[in-house]
Amino acid sequence: MNSAPTNYARTNYAMVRRLILKDWYLNRWMIIGSIPAGLASLAIVLTGKQVAFLLSIILLCMVIIGVGAQLAVVTTINERKEQTLAFIMSLPVSWREYTAAKILANLIIFLIPWLAITAGALGILLLPGATHGLIPFIAIMAVEMLVTTCLIIAAGVITESQAWLTVAILCSSLGLNILGYVFAHTRGIAPQMWGMSVHWTAASCTILLAEFLVAALILALTFFVQSRKTDFL
Amino acid sequence: MNDVCVRLEGVSKRYPHFLLDNISLDLPVGSILGFIGANGAGKSTTIRILMGLVRQDSGSVQVLGHAMPAEQTAAKLDIGYVSEDMRLYGSATLAWHMNFIASIYPQWDQSYADTLVRRFDLRPEQKIKGLSHGQRVKAALLLALGRQPRLLLLDEPTTGLDPVARREVLAELMAVLADERRTIFFSSHNTLDVEQISDRIAFIDRGRIIALEEKEDLLDRWRRVRLVVPPSAVLPQFPGIVEVGGTERLPVLITNHFDPAVVSLCQDRGATVQSIDSMTLEEIFVANVQSRRELQPA
Repeated sequence: MNSAPTNYARTNYAMVRRLILKDWYLNRWMIIGSIPAGLASLAIVLTGKQVAFLLSIILLCMVIIGVGAQLAVVTTINERKEQTLAFIMSLPVSWREYTAAKILANLIIFLIPWLAITAGALGILLLPGATHGLIPFIAIMAVEMLVTTCLIIAAGVITESQAWLTVAILCSSLGLNILGYVFAHTRGIAPQMWGMSVHWTAASCTILLAEFLVAALILALTFFVQSRKTDFL
Repeated sequence: MNDVCVRLEGVSKRYPHFLLDNISLDLPVGSILGFIGANGAGKSTTIRILMGLVRQDSGSVQVLGHAMPAEQTAAKLDIGYVSEDMRLYGSATLAWHMNFIASIYPQWDQSYADTLVRRFDLRPEQKIKGLSHGQRVKAALLLALGRQPRLLLLDEPTTGLDPVARREVLAELMAVLADERRTIFFSSHNTLDVEQISDRIAFIDRGRIIALEEKEDLLDRWRRVRLVVPPSAVLPQFPGIVEVGGTERLPVLITNHFDPAVVSLCQDRGATVQSIDSMTLEEIFVANVQSRRELQPA
């Protein structure tokens, strides 16, 4: 019998990578299918009309959030519902590695289109003649989408419950709209929004920073709650 | 050199409507433990604790020299786990599963896995969702055996299998037993399966281990004795009487400490011993559970 001392607290990154690739492979058609939907949404911008720009942003948000939410459902809820969790947890995997893999698999898939679309939207706003003043607001809303996605992933990983995940998705959608309205009417943001120059006011910077902190807090809380669990099956 | 593969000491786990109560057992390397219990007796909870998937409220668990659940990652490198409620990914093929497992376990034996594919009549290119229940169990067993585990934890693997599939699975487990360093912890409520492959038996009922010993010793100790007792005869005190059935004149006694000397004592007192029957593991299990439940109602 071996009992060589080992640092069991160390995270096995190779295992985390395998679990991420596993989730991506098993959901490859959904991921691939979202690309033409995203590109089609982006193509609407090319018509050059202001209404088309807004419509494009709305459609892109729907695609990003839709893919993020669906992937969270499939990779977390279905793992328990379809009883594959026992198979995964029978492998040399700790709760920490499992949690990290689930968060990263979902977050990276979200971040790829999110970064591309956010960069695309900001790029368009930087074009000569565009309403440059919208840039802080668009940046805030883009990061807000990141926060809501973190919330959805956390709900999926922690609760493994369809009902709670649906609550998280509803809260996220509602929160996104309410906060979007609130930010658009915030004193430090609203007056500069439709101007032709960018103003990074104290209010917009504080909100952005707060959003990043909330996202980090949600992910840290996910690890904390997972560490407190006594039963993984 | 430690020759104990699994050690549970005073392990308890409380749920709202169930208590796994002070479980202690040692499983030596190379032994095959049949873990028998009714549905809800605590078999799966015990195995999940052994896998580190459920944290015990109290007590210590050592598996392959690793403290569980803290060192589960290291322990699980050498454990093959198959559970009745474990499923593989329906949209992926068996070949994908084999490659996935092979990428994780350096000791994965592809040629042995290929042999099992043929022996179990499986097709690697087939998606799991297209497999029957029996084929899925065999696929899960293949994935567990191919990694050459030192400990096999099998939680009701034969439940729901047709007789042919059950025979195939049990035959493969028997073949695995040829490796004397391999330890098997086999839970089932099907005592026939357990009786075939185990060398040690544990009975669990209502979260408590009620028997743990070598299979042969257990089968040797338990007997059903049929007597004919004339009205004037007074029977001697039988050791270990668990159950008394039949009638006053034709009693049927079940004892868990059979002693051949008692037979001649009965005859000396005028009683006739009609038969002394060995009992199956199932009969022993049922008699054991019933007698304890009568003594300790829920």
